[in-house]
Amino acid sequence: MPQGLTEAWNTVTSELLSPVPTNSSTSEVLSGALAFLCEHGLSQYAEGWLLETLQVRLTTVVAPEFWTGLKQPDGELEEKDRAAALLRAFRKLLQQLEPFLGGLERLGTWQEEGHGRPCGPGARGLTERAFSVIRAILLFSPPPVLQERVLEFYRRTFSVHMSQSGEAVVAQEGAVEPNLGGLCPGCDAVHRLCWCQEALHQLQELSHILSRLQLLERVSSEAITSILHKRIEQRMEQRCRGEYESSFLTDFTEWLEQILGWLSRVFTSKVEEACDNAMPIDENSGQQANPLLHRWHCHMHQFFCRIYVNMRIEELFSIIRDFPESIPAIEDLKFCLERTNQRQQLLTSLKSAFETRLLHPGVHTSDIITVYISAIKALRELDPSMVILQVACQPIRKYLRTREDTVRQIVGSLTGDAEGCSDLANELSRADPVTLETQDSEDEGSDPEDWTPDPTDALTDKTGSKRRSSDIISLLVSIYGSKEIFINEYKTVLADRLLHQLNYNTAREIRNVELLKLRFGESHMHYCEVMLKDVADSRRINSNIREEESRLPPEEQPTLPLSAMILSSEFWPQLKEEKMELPAVVSKAMEDYTHRFEKLKAMRTLRWKPHLGSVTLDVELEDRTMSNLTVSPIHAAIILHFQEKGTWTLEDLSAVLGVPQEMVRRKLALWQQQGVVREEGGGRYTIQETSSSRERSDRSVMLIDSDEEGDSNTATQSEQREEKLQLFWAYIQAMLTNLESMTLERIHSMLRMFVAAGPGVTEMDVNELQSFLQKKVRAHELIVSTGVYRLPKTTQ
Amino acid sequence: MASQNMDPAAAASNAARKGSETTGSVSKGSVTKRLQQELMTLMMSGDKGISAFPESDNLFKWIGTIDGAQGTVYEGLRYKLSLEFPSGYPYNAPRVKFITACFHPNVDENGFICLDILKDKWSALYDVRSILLSIQSLLGEPNNESPLNSAAAELWDDQEAFKAHLRATNKN
Repeated sequence: MPQGLTEAWNTVTSELLSPVPTNSSTSEVLSGALAFLCEHGLSQYAEGWLLETLQVRLTTVVAPEFWTGLKQPDGELEEKDRAAALLRAFRKLLQQLEPFLGGLERLGTWQEEGHGRPCGPGARGLTERAFSVIRAILLFSPPPVLQERVLEFYRRTFSVHMSQSGEAVVAQEGAVEPNLGGLCPGCDAVHRLCWCQEALHQLQELSHILSRLQLLERVSSEAITSILHKRIEQRMEQRCRGEYESSFLTDFTEWLEQILGWLSRVFTSKVEEACDNAMPIDENSGQQANPLLHRWHCHMHQFFCRIYVNMRIEELFSIIRDFPESIPAIEDLKFCLERTNQRQQLLTSLKSAFETRLLHPGVHTSDIITVYISAIKALRELDPSMVILQVACQPIRKYLRTREDTVRQIVGSLTGDAEGCSDLANELSRADPVTLETQDSEDEGSDPEDWTPDPTDALTDKTGSKRRSSDIISLLVSIYGSKEIFINEYKTVLADRLLHQLNYNTAREIRNVELLKLRFGESHMHYCEVMLKDVADSRRINSNIREEESRLPPEEQPTLPLSAMILSSEFWPQLKEEKMELPAVVSKAMEDYTHRFEKLKAMRTLRWKPHLGSVTLDVELEDRTMSNLTVSPIHAAIILHFQEKGTWTLEDLSAVLGVPQEMVRRKLALWQQQGVVREEGGGRYTIQETSSSRERSDRSVMLIDSDEEGDSNTATQSEQREEKLQLFWAYIQAMLTNLESMTLERIHSMLRMFVAAGPGVTEMDVNELQSFLQKKVRAHELIVSTGVYRLPKTTQ
Repeated sequence: MASQNMDPAAAASNAARKGSETTGSVSKGSVTKRLQQELMTLMMSGDKGISAFPESDNLFKWIGTIDGAQGTVYEGLRYKLSLEFPSGYPYNAPRVKFITACFHPNVDENGFICLDILKDKWSALYDVRSILLSIQSLLGEPNNESPLNSAAAELWDDQEAFKAHLRATNKN
């Protein structure tokens, strides 16, 4: 062993671990000794020894001491004391590790100065290694107490910071009453004992220690994340849940800036080693100066967006329901949704919300349509590509297809009949209607440069994105795939309306037809125009005939004034067919009218529908007169017969009217109610010429036509459906007669192939067909075995 | 002269043989349309005892069913026929034959039918419904002048025996 080697080694080891700050003389001694070692090729052992010592010391003494220091103040200690203990533990840790770090630095510096030849990793590498050793040993399996303490401490400093930097905000929050009970809003302690300032100092010191040991992120990121999450969530619950009518973005951005101040307290010491209490630093310069802080800033925004989107997704159904009051919420959501990847989650949640809250038998069709309209409006704000709209509303459209009154409801609200739903009527009269026809064509106007690809969650169907419409009316009309159904329904509605009012007043209808023409195109509304023209013509013809009648000599004047609504049967929907014999007076008047009409319009004649229309009459009895009663023709006919004969049996009346007895009985109820006719035993009805005064006062309330069973004069949708089913049944019978037996799928595909789709004949889906066939099986008109249908043998 | 039976499309393509085949496909489309329409008419007519339907997705091959008319020896018997429509339909007559064996003076053992409107008397004004009705009435009123099945023609005069023969041979 060369002489002096032991001595040099000793010098080096003691010098490297000396806690005394280096001065030039000791530094000389150290470099001398190191150089000596180096000459003998032993310099690399110095660093090995140093790291080894650090490791041993750390495992045997420092780490256990740190943990006991942390746990030591066991029991019922004040939060304040726990914070102090935490800081103490870290302080001690730093104290014990400082010599090693110093030594490593010195060794590293010496190496870098070039004395050690190209051996050794330099100061940087050495300290890196030391820090890895520290992290590994100290935090290999930290007991939960560390996280608890750190979390508690950070939470405290968080509220201290927030209470200091944003008095106003705290005051608004209301949850913490600043002056109530004399507690400090920051530290929840009595003002006298407030340790806010102390806590901030502690925070600063802790941050220094942690960053010196490069443990800052290691120790605190988990706690910070959880605090941020909790606080944002809490605030959001308090302020935003259920509130859709104002935007929270700016509010939250301000608040997040405040939090940033706190974050900069936590992370600041890394850049500004000797930073004093002059906090908070300016956010912008802070962000740029400190990449760590900047990263946390981004994290925080991400947290915020994610939490916000989560909450709003849960509430989306209510938001849609409250549209347009909820526009601010939609806009916020849109902003945040663009920053998080949660569209899929939104779609699933919204779809299931629709299914559980909307699409069940308890909801009225008009409500479903109203929500659907709101959804269209809201979702086109949220997602201009309309993909969310298209995907999420798929179930609604599918469900509406199964409701029988959907078309009637939509048409009703289009024309402004439906109560409480004027959306569609407004939509219809909008200034720039989208014509349903041009929609299918290419929109040449759009610049190819403006094209944007569909989002990835778009439905991959044949209809491209340009077909994806946001126009409410076209969306509703397309539920059934064809506008003919709607036009037919509108025809029915229009016919009903015209036939109900009977006053030739068509101003509103003309307006509606014109508006619909803009939507559906002239040709489709042709029938409706004819109907309106019929009404106008009827009015003219009526006044013509009236005039002619007035020129007749008095004895030839018609006994009853009759005005007719003359309909072109080709163009009107099928009217209900009911037979009724009218009293001679009335038939005579109708005949005369017909003659005059034939004179007026050569080659044309009239076919009367006696059961439609209304009659205004006065009933004169012995002791009273009822005037201006408006009743249906059959009511009038019944009471007219009582004019000839005071008592009728049900049978006779039914025979004379040509109407079933049951019907007569029902219609008589009106006159019984009016106290005009009384039922006696054995189906006999007698006119009551005098009535007791008591009865009369009872009957002061007139209930005209209270027994009307159905309002509509035209064949209803379900009747049309029956007709369609009859047609299908004819095809099915023919198929099975000729091809013997077929499966459900085969029948379905044959029907699809061969039933020429006339107006109103739409496709039948497999399920509908199956239930139809099952009905036929139950009626023994069809036999099914092992999924194969055939006709029973007896039908030949 | 059966000029009204000429397929104008065919005539046009004869005149301009080297022209493209587009007229052919156009006429095919219109044949499809016509057959679809005939099917609809047949379905809506609700005639008892006759029926027909496309055999598969091919609209040019149908299966027909005829029930023997009441009061004839064929009453209670049901016959299946096949109808094949040429692309020149309705200007050319469809090929119609019995699938079910039919003992009848004007039907041979292969099911071929001797009926004037299916041959030289064919007109574009006939349709599936009128063909089926004609065949149904042919069953009851055979034309014994030109029999395809002479045994049946001879037996025809003895209606009881004819009926017994039908019952014996027909397992329907």
